[in-house]
Amino acid sequence: MNKYWIILKEVYKKNVKSIGFVTMVLSPIILLGIVALIIYFVGRSETNQEPTSIAVLTEDSAVQEIMASPDIPLEVNADIASVEEAEEAMTEEKLDGYLVLETADDQIQGEYIHTEGNATETVAILNQVLSTYQVQIKGAAVGLTPEEVMDLVAPVEVQTTTVRIDEGEISQEDSLAETIQNWSAYAVSIGIFIFIMTYAGIIAEEVASEKGTRIMEVILSSVSSTAHFFGKLSGVLLICLTQIAIYVVLALVAYPFIRDIEWVQQLLEGVDLAAIFQSLLGYTLIFFLLGVIMYVVLAAFFGSLVTKIEDVNKSVTPIVFLAMIGFYGGLFAFASPDQPVVEVLSYVPFFTPFIMPFRIAANTVTTTGVWLSILGSTVFAVLLTYLSLMMYRSNVLIYSDTNMFQTIKRSWKVMQSDRKARTT
Amino acid sequence: MLEAKSLVKRFGDLVAVDGIDFTIEKGSILGLIGQNGAGKTTTFRLILNLLGPDEGEVLWNGHRLRKKDYDTVGYLPEERGLYPKVTIEDQILYFAQLRGKSKKEIKPQIDAWMEKFQVKGKKSDKVKTLSKGNQQKVQLICTLIHEPELIILDEPFSGLDPVNAELLEEGIKEAKKRGASIIFSSHNMNNVEEICDNLVMLRNGRMVLNGTVRDIREQFGRTRLFLETPIAEEELGQMPGVLSVSGTSEGLKVLTLDAPERGKDIFDRVTENGYITTFSQQPPTLEEIFKLKAGEPNE
Repeated sequence: MNKYWIILKEVYKKNVKSIGFVTMVLSPIILLGIVALIIYFVGRSETNQEPTSIAVLTEDSAVQEIMASPDIPLEVNADIASVEEAEEAMTEEKLDGYLVLETADDQIQGEYIHTEGNATETVAILNQVLSTYQVQIKGAAVGLTPEEVMDLVAPVEVQTTTVRIDEGEISQEDSLAETIQNWSAYAVSIGIFIFIMTYAGIIAEEVASEKGTRIMEVILSSVSSTAHFFGKLSGVLLICLTQIAIYVVLALVAYPFIRDIEWVQQLLEGVDLAAIFQSLLGYTLIFFLLGVIMYVVLAAFFGSLVTKIEDVNKSVTPIVFLAMIGFYGGLFAFASPDQPVVEVLSYVPFFTPFIMPFRIAANTVTTTGVWLSILGSTVFAVLLTYLSLMMYRSNVLIYSDTNMFQTIKRSWKVMQSDRKARTT
Repeated sequence: MLEAKSLVKRFGDLVAVDGIDFTIEKGSILGLIGQNGAGKTTTFRLILNLLGPDEGEVLWNGHRLRKKDYDTVGYLPEERGLYPKVTIEDQILYFAQLRGKSKKEIKPQIDAWMEKFQVKGKKSDKVKTLSKGNQQKVQLICTLIHEPELIILDEPFSGLDPVNAELLEEGIKEAKKRGASIIFSSHNMNNVEEICDNLVMLRNGRMVLNGTVRDIREQFGRTRLFLETPIAEEELGQMPGVLSVSGTSEGLKVLTLDAPERGKDIFDRVTENGYITTFSQQPPTLEEIFKLKAGEPNE
């Protein structure tokens, strides 16, 4: 078996079998489950709330009747006819409040006495019902039929349509599509960030632990540094793809079951799943892969600079900062995609995967621009990989307690002298 | 056969290795000694092609070390390391695979090797559960199990107790019998004296000694004299050519002479009254030579 495959397999097997990987895969699912449970219970407690029960104290039996109609979400206790009875019921917690109504000159006046914590909703219902009733009484007084009254008070409908300017033409804005794109860009941004942090950490640790224990020297005396470098990289990328594949399979398996749950249906109502997948499979996937590759290569490089395995976190810090800038740049682009700084940052390879999806969603970039940024990032990723590989061999032989910059400088010198030595 | 020819390696202004020449024949052992920073590890890295020399070259069987020669190399670096979370068996198999062996070839041999080095533990144990000494032995197995023809051991004896050191010596001798070319560094001159055919001592990147252990010692002359005699130390000290006198715990007197020829006169003097049990004139020990050479002023 090719030595590249041996290394790839070893990295893959070791990590996938580890408890760390299992928790890493499960934690978002568990988190999602907890959120779903919370939503579920909150939803249920809201729908299961008992209706407010009130008593209506009035001479006007018509009001009593309207109030008792099943269309009104209040429970009216018709047996209570006096303040004393109502107060007694309230002390026994059988009643939430009572309404005292008086009619003078066709003008209804009411007072609502209650024990509810927040009666705004109840009062709004009462207001609406009583106002409608009063309009009808007054309408009847001037000789209008109830239908004529309804006609009179019918509200005006105002419809809204958002348009956008697309290359000088006004076209109908598909606001739903934009929302979906925006949110999938948002999700991708978070996804890239989490994946980058996780996998940058894994590969930096892989490399640093081998260097710190000098296993690296043994390995580099058996395989070429190229095979080792790419073996590690592909192993880690394969773990990343495994994680994604697990989620895809889980989603496919779970979908038929959760599809029928009421609140999931509510959530998915008006959301075009196909449109989301389409946008995910397009540019988004390219940006995701480019982002993970660039950062993982960078992490392998920084990991190879470490002298002791304990310093791994220190070596990953610059990468974390870089990714953070990208991530917040993305959030900024989410809020204001027209800013020149956003435009510039979207072409910087390390930030492209975070920012460009938002610009695509907000339609502030042409297709040419998108492909330019993809091309730029790809070329950059290739160059970065080449440079990292070149220095990898000399990096792993340098053990130094000075700062990382000094180490890179020393490694560069060793690499230069080594290349000269090898060509002569 | 491994040949190092006029190797020079510089790191900026520092000359880490400065004109090193030696040859290791098939089935022979070279000991590389020198203080910390003398250039031993750099020499190993040059041999392994982890670094390229600025001048000179390393030849393995007449050519530079090629990619496929990697499979015939066994290298034990100075600092010991294994994957802590991997089992002994997987570890050995992984390194053997990287040396071009198949799992099928190596798997049946693991038990015998663990037996040979008396590794305490099962092969399904994770490395981190082993004691340091046992980890070191597992690493030795990783270095030797693929029967390498070129074996490079950086301080293999450090940290081993006398029993385990002997097991390692046996392992090295076995590889030698097989025909391997072996080079190792050590601080312990006893190990070097016992198993080395040849010896190279480095000091600040330069070779200060090169040859068989015997030749090197002889080259310093037989100026150490071990005596068992009733004559007092003061009197011995006043004899012509005696530089110093000291006593050992076994009751021997050790004289340092300014020249080997002085031995004859002293022999006559101490045997005036007839038989004595010990009269042994020897060259300085490797350890003494090591200290002597290490202490010499530069240039």
